[in-house]
Amino acid sequence: MAHPVLQFQIISKDPDQTARFYAGLFDWKINADNPMGYRRIDTGSQEGIQGGIWPAPPQAPAFVQLFVGVSDVKAAVEKAEQLGARLLIPPTTLPEGDEMAVLHDPQGMSFALWKRP
Amino acid sequence: MQARFRDRLQQEWDQRREKNSRFSLRAFAALLGADHSTLSQVLRSRRRVPASRLRSWARKLGLGPEETAAYIAAEHLPDPVTASRESQLRHWTAEAAAILTERAHWEIFRLCQTPEFRADSRWIAERTGSTVDAINIALTRLLRLRLLETSAGGAWIPTAGRPVATEREFRALALARVREKAATFNVQLPRELRRP
Repeated sequence: MAHPVLQFQIISKDPDQTARFYAGLFDWKINADNPMGYRRIDTGSQEGIQGGIWPAPPQAPAFVQLFVGVSDVKAAVEKAEQLGARLLIPPTTLPEGDEMAVLHDPQGMSFALWKRP
Repeated sequence: MQARFRDRLQQEWDQRREKNSRFSLRAFAALLGADHSTLSQVLRSRRRVPASRLRSWARKLGLGPEETAAYIAAEHLPDPVTASRESQLRHWTAEAAAILTERAHWEIFRLCQTPEFRADSRWIAERTGSTVDAINIALTRLLRLRLLETSAGGAWIPTAGRPVATEREFRALALARVREKAATFNVQLPRELRRP
């Protein structure tokens, strides 16, 4: 299976302000009507990928994570750890059935492994 | 340009040794007008470049005033190892403080053990008088600290390993997890944050 980047996620200390900014700048549609209250970004284009906004705790910097598609999150975590990644959030099933895990790559950059429902 | 003057000295030393393998540390010290022992310690990262000597050594190496000023400014920053340690200490101290001050963690932990629980951040926020963002930040922290896990069916399951009936017990457990995690980064939390 190929491992495409399926989504970008903006981690923001002020998600509402971030949503307003990008909606105003790019006409992105942002919808949080789902069980996690997750702000899903619809860029309005078939090109590129869609995204989301997740809140950050006050001490964290703002950053962007890439969500990479995998068929088996646990197996992908094991392989990533063998290659030097550090597990941050273990494989987790979200309310709508997605599975994801968050890791730091060997350079300390955060990324997510994601399996759609 | 090297980020630090010590690294620039090392670069100069390496280049001169490459050109002439008999070039000695004493010769390098003489060129800089430096004390041999001090220079040796600087190159072995045993001590910082003496602030009073940096400008003089830079001039001897032929560095311009702008580059010298950048190195002087860089000497006021903590070294990378110290900066990393301070960053980790700040992070784990903030994690501990959040556990102690933000009740959302306990509320999620408590509610997900009740029969009416719904894995829905909006529902939890409504039940606890909190915001969805505050719930999601706390949820992320609980997952990071392995205080909560999810089942394949999407249920949220506390991972205490023993019954946790009160907020005080929860805080003690959560702080213990923070300590364990911090220790993996060689960080010891301030004494005041070690118990709830």
